[in-house]
Amino acid sequence: MNQDEIIQKIKAGGRTELGLIYEEYREEFLRWVVKEFKCSLDDGKDFYQLTILIFHDNIKQGKLEHLVSSVKTYLFGIGKNIVKENFRKEKRFVPVSKEKWLKETLIDEPSDKIDDAVFERARNALGKLGQPCQRLIELFYYEKKSIPEITLELNYKNPETAKNQKCKCMARLRKLFEQESEQNTFTINHGSL
Amino acid sequence: MDHSEADIALVEKYFDAELNDAELKNFTTRLESDEHFKLLVEQEKALIAAIRFDGAASNLQYLEELETKLQKETPLRISSGSNKWYYYAAAAAVGMTILVTVFMNSFNENPDQLFQAYFTPYPNMFEPTVRSNQSSDSKRAEAFQAYEQGNYQKAATLFTDLLKDNKDAGMLLLLGNSNMMLGNLEEAKANFITLNDDFDDLDMQAKWYLSLCYLKNGEMDKAQALLKELGDTEISYATKAKELLEKVN
Repeated sequence: MNQDEIIQKIKAGGRTELGLIYEEYREEFLRWVVKEFKCSLDDGKDFYQLTILIFHDNIKQGKLEHLVSSVKTYLFGIGKNIVKENFRKEKRFVPVSKEKWLKETLIDEPSDKIDDAVFERARNALGKLGQPCQRLIELFYYEKKSIPEITLELNYKNPETAKNQKCKCMARLRKLFEQESEQNTFTINHGSL
Repeated sequence: MDHSEADIALVEKYFDAELNDAELKNFTTRLESDEHFKLLVEQEKALIAAIRFDGAASNLQYLEELETKLQKETPLRISSGSNKWYYYAAAAAVGMTILVTVFMNSFNENPDQLFQAYFTPYPNMFEPTVRSNQSSDSKRAEAFQAYEQGNYQKAATLFTDLLKDNKDAGMLLLLGNSNMMLGNLEEAKANFITLNDDFDDLDMQAKWYLSLCYLKNGEMDKAQALLKELGDTEISYATKAKELLEKVN
């Protein structure tokens, strides 16, 4: 399989493809990162997991469609930057905080950071949404699947039904978010009495 | 806070990239002039960010579980270094094996394979990516962040733009690397030639990456000349350059 075929396979695929690419370069990456940066194997695994998630996300978001170098070169390039930035931010070698990294790397734009409190309320609302809505909007906004692809994956009658369902799920999510915000305002007001 | 159905539909279509030109114009105008509408956009952005974050966190959990399973099935034991002599002995044995393998394989490697083996994009050593940066330097931060995340198309566009006003050797080096990753070899070559000719810093890095561009392009004479030049120096690229030159020859 050439580099572009790997990219297409990940773009169209799901967890299975994510797992396959993880296994493919795991040993080589770990040997390299532990040796190159004198970190522990456990730290190396954290760096590798973040590297694979960034690679996966870049493909899903359409930021990476074609590779002139090998996948290995691309992965090692991302890995090197993660290690160096982690070192630079912490001023010493400490284990990377993976969830913090995911938010800062995949979610925030340097010029347009989402307010932490608002983001927390959004996460709470999402946690209350339930299935199948949660899965549907995750397929659409995170996996970047098209409505016809979601129709097939979640067994909707036709794309129109899937699209309507997606709009309804987002409407419910907005409502839950408003409830979270009201609750938050109430708690603040109540607390200040 | 109440928002009209029309506003909600407009915002949802914006984030789903379904707006036509007229709707997009309306959206931009409203965003600049209507605080209530801006709040709705911020809310929608936070909701989509939460969805994306949960998707990524769930994939991270999947990889952690997979790692635990793999470690049980095929345990990896890697050490970053030790004083014990037997580690050195083992490393020496592995090193010898690698050297012999590399030597044997070098007869079968073509320029493209050599390029793949030796090319690694230069890390961002120039600018920490401070993500809360709201200043006028945010475009610069965005460029470095895009580079670090492997979004080379975006990085190349932003670096090109930034270099028009600010002649920065580090940015030019990373622009060349972005172009290499994108397969824009002619642009990459021009970047490294400019870096070598017009700047005082990063000459050796420029020559190393330029030699790799020539190698990838099959311009063997030019690649050899640069590798020889680098091999004759005492900098960190010398060993790599000598090794690659032997294979090219």
